[in-house]
Amino acid sequence: MEYNKVTDEVVDKLKAICGEQYVTTSEPLRYSYMARGIMGLEAVLPEVIVRPANAEEVSKILVLANENLCPVTPAAGGLSGGFALPAIEPGGIYMDMTRMDTLQVDVDNRVMVVEPGLKSGDAWRIFKTKYPDWAPPIPDGAPPAATVLGDAIERGFSLVTGVYGPQADMIMGLEVVLPTGEIFRTGSWALDGAKPYYRWGPGPNPDGLFLGSQGAMGIITKAAIKMVPHPHYKTVVAYGGKNWEDIIEPAWLISKHEMGIAEHTVMVQGGNWPLVMTRWPKTNVPLDYEFYKKIGLSEYWMNYEIWAWTKEEQEYVMKGIDDIYKSYEAEKKTECPQWKLHPKQIASRLKKPNKIAIPYALWEAGFLFITWYTPWKESTAMMEEYCAKMEEYGFPPTMWVASIDHARQAIVMPILCFDSTEQGIYERIREFNLDTTRSFLKKGWLNYRPDPFVHAPETFSRTPEYYKMLVKFKKVLDPNMILHPGRLAMPWENVTGLPYPGSGGN
Amino acid sequence: MTSLEELRKINARCIHCRACQYAYSGEPDREGETEEYTGMLQGCPAGLYFGWEGYYNSGKQWMARAFLEGDLEPSKELLEVVEACTTCGMCESQCENYIDTVAVTEALRAAIIEAGVEPLDKHKIFGVRVHDESLRNPYNEPREERTKWFSGETDNQEVKVAYFVGCTAAYRQQQIAEHTASILKKIGVDFTVLSDEVCCGSPILRTGQREIFKEVMNENLEMFKEFDLLLFSCAGCYKTFRNDYPAMSGGPLPFKVRHVVEFVYDLINEGKLKIDTEYAKKVTWHDPCHSIRHVGLAIEKEILNNSDNWLIDSRKAEKAKEAHFEIPRVVLKAIPGLKFHEMYRIKGDSFCCGAGGGVKAQFSDMALSTSKERLKEAASTGAEVLMTSCPFCVTNFNDGIKALKKEEEATGKDLSAVGSKLKVVELIELLDQLI
Ligand SMILES: Cc1cc2nc3c(=O)[nH]c(=O)nc-3n(C[C@H](O)[C@H](O)[C@H](O)COP(=O)(O)OP(=O)(O)OC[C@H]3O[C@@H](n4cnc5c(N)ncnc54)[C@H](O)[C@@H]3O)c2cc1C
Ligand code: SF4
Ligand code: SF4
Repeated sequence: MEYNKVTDEVVDKLKAICGEQYVTTSEPLRYSYMARGIMGLEAVLPEVIVRPANAEEVSKILVLANENLCPVTPAAGGLSGGFALPAIEPGGIYMDMTRMDTLQVDVDNRVMVVEPGLKSGDAWRIFKTKYPDWAPPIPDGAPPAATVLGDAIERGFSLVTGVYGPQADMIMGLEVVLPTGEIFRTGSWALDGAKPYYRWGPGPNPDGLFLGSQGAMGIITKAAIKMVPHPHYKTVVAYGGKNWEDIIEPAWLISKHEMGIAEHTVMVQGGNWPLVMTRWPKTNVPLDYEFYKKIGLSEYWMNYEIWAWTKEEQEYVMKGIDDIYKSYEAEKKTECPQWKLHPKQIASRLKKPNKIAIPYALWEAGFLFITWYTPWKESTAMMEEYCAKMEEYGFPPTMWVASIDHARQAIVMPILCFDSTEQGIYERIREFNLDTTRSFLKKGWLNYRPDPFVHAPETFSRTPEYYKMLVKFKKVLDPNMILHPGRLAMPWENVTGLPYPGSGGN
Repeated sequence: MTSLEELRKINARCIHCRACQYAYSGEPDREGETEEYTGMLQGCPAGLYFGWEGYYNSGKQWMARAFLEGDLEPSKELLEVVEACTTCGMCESQCENYIDTVAVTEALRAAIIEAGVEPLDKHKIFGVRVHDESLRNPYNEPREERTKWFSGETDNQEVKVAYFVGCTAAYRQQQIAEHTASILKKIGVDFTVLSDEVCCGSPILRTGQREIFKEVMNENLEMFKEFDLLLFSCAGCYKTFRNDYPAMSGGPLPFKVRHVVEFVYDLINEGKLKIDTEYAKKVTWHDPCHSIRHVGLAIEKEILNNSDNWLIDSRKAEKAKEAHFEIPRVVLKAIPGLKFHEMYRIKGDSFCCGAGGGVKAQFSDMALSTSKERLKEAASTGAEVLMTSCPFCVTNFNDGIKALKKEEEATGKDLSAVGSKLKVVELIELLDQLI
């Protein structure tokens, strides 16, 4: 599929839509967005940046892009690195949505309506000052500049994901601008004047086409998202273990009841000891586990963040967790010592949003999060295989895991710490990604932020009917394929040399 | 490490998390006194003014990377974006990857100029004047008049302490030089000033004109090398000597350095000085980026550079930085009668006055708008006095107040809630009156 370059005439029309000061072709400014990292490493330079103010402007930009066959890439916080950048040539129009950053809160309906530019840190501040008994479901470990909407679009995991499921499950309605420019709303919100109180609305509901589409199906200009109660008895307890099973099994035992203590363990997350080590420069931190053992770190551990309405309730939950651990230890003849957290460690874990995951670039110079979903109990096998592969490819085996929806699923996330200035490093990462992706797909595990050059083509090669269905929808919604092309491996031939799904091979 | 190439690996740590756009990016729960000043807040003067990602540090780090990789060519257009930054270091305070953000920005400016792009016009004028041996200052003033303000003995090689006056106090704000000399006399410091003193080079280094900077740096280093201690009244000169000279010359300083406020703090701390005179005013304090934030950050990084275990030593390093941030507060609290009320954005998270990094000369609108943003915050404390200790902060705040007053005259509105009635006071001047 071929696209046209952005011409001066298109730029003038963009200026007429958004205002001269919100459109730029400045080469330095275009490069300032080119953050290849964290989630996605591949990206090409956009040709023009626009900063629309509202859905109407977004719509007009899309109509113009269709007329001229220019690709359009939407970006909210832009923290997903290459994912929020053009994937293929030419870079086209880059839509920086940060000017659209309002938040409306409806306490009676327990829903908040966010625009794409609303940052987690801003949402947190507004709730703290105006609605202290409620919390916005912001991403749990993302920096404060990540947006609430971007996270929902990516189906990320919020600070209450252990109870409420992935972020996309919190959606109550969307306002979408289709690639051809029509604006519509989903759920009960579709009805003029109605509140976003019923997600499935007039039905059938198309939300799932946009959530997880990486911006390839439509541009979301508003999302109604459930807000959650915010009780103020909060703490974190942590338990160690000798292997992955020692942290995965007890978490399942705690979470599977869904009610009772499980209701209060809003975030259940853990990892292995390199998760602590690789937050520091490789040259300026002990590399041997012995040091970490001495400072009280177990080789593996799981944290349980507890939210409760009263002290008694909190203590009841803590005791319940402890009892389950004790019986697990006795049954499995293993040791899962409770990690006595210092109040400062607890406070730092409770801090939302936070900067906890930022410093992995200190280890060398750069890192990549690769995010997978597995059935909870299979995460043990996945992490074992992943860690071994990381070491085989010369990366420290830094691994993180969290429960989604009462340990129904696990999000497994290796943090690939690398030196982005090293020659050939991106090829090494690609090889590693291919190798692990092929193995994991065979086992039925799924990458939830598929990159267009490895995960998406590898996955869709194995789900040809699904891919063809997606292409059908895409063609209906976006006949000229202008919206974030390359993402979701559409158009196929622009991102991969693999045979078209279903046409043999693989 | 000073050249962009040498900073390649540090710049490569940037993950574009954009935390560096916000003051208190790591303290989302910070309590403020008003809804406006609570939690994390925009903290980058350049980004706030221009809006585009490239003006924030997070964008600049990626422009620097593109430049290093040869993707982005040196150009005036690039220089104009990169120079529109006060080098305040708010971004550096936020970065969990310990990226020397300002060093990267300054090195990028230098690399663009070294690749043949002319410095921006106002910056170039500074460079030409400082390069001129008959001037050696950015104000176009005769060199021989540099110590005209001073009634004591210049060039006294018998004493061990020198006061490095700097161009602004020597030519533009001589009252600061006079007050400094007067304080030093009162506290019994036997000191001299050197008539050959030349510009410290700060505006030249910040704007990327490194060859000229090295000339003046070497002259100063040579000229003062026999002294034990250099004292400073200018935040910019102090930071340049303390942080930049060792980095740019590749060796440690041959003398100790201290800002006068720090010197007074030392005496108060050691119990050698007690302030008895009252100053019964409601005061808020603005941290000058150079002498407070940048020096604090340097203290932190010096500890880490000597550590083989950052996991353990990062706390110690942070504490040492925080202790530096306390210095002016200790001094202010030692003044009887002074009612001290902090602004919301302070210390490492302080919001710049808007004058630094060559911005005041080249991007005066941005400087003014930044000054007003800070004045508004100062006024929100209910203070009548905005205290600071930096000649550029003082000037830029006074320009901001003038602009507010003009606006009041033109519109008939009362703008005292956003700072029109604030009085800007240089702490050194006040200390001279009180000691
Ligand atoms: C250090 C770090 C830690 C993190 N930890 C967590 C965590 O704990 N939990 C978690 O869930 N996430 C985490 N994240 C991910 C972070 O939350 C993502 O950056 C976020 O989910 C995406 O939001 P964004 O605002 O950055 O979106 P962007 O990066 O701007 O966009 C994400 C995707 O959505 C598309 N898009 C953007 N806006 C629109 C729109 N309006 N309409 C349609 N498509 C659009 C983009 O093209 C892109 O494909 C972390 C990220 C970092 C850097
Ligand atoms: S400089 Fe640091 S804080 Fe700023 S975007 Fe880069 S990594 Fe984040
Ligand atoms: S130094 Fe100050 S003005 Fe420059 S990018 Fe950093 S925060 Fe912004």
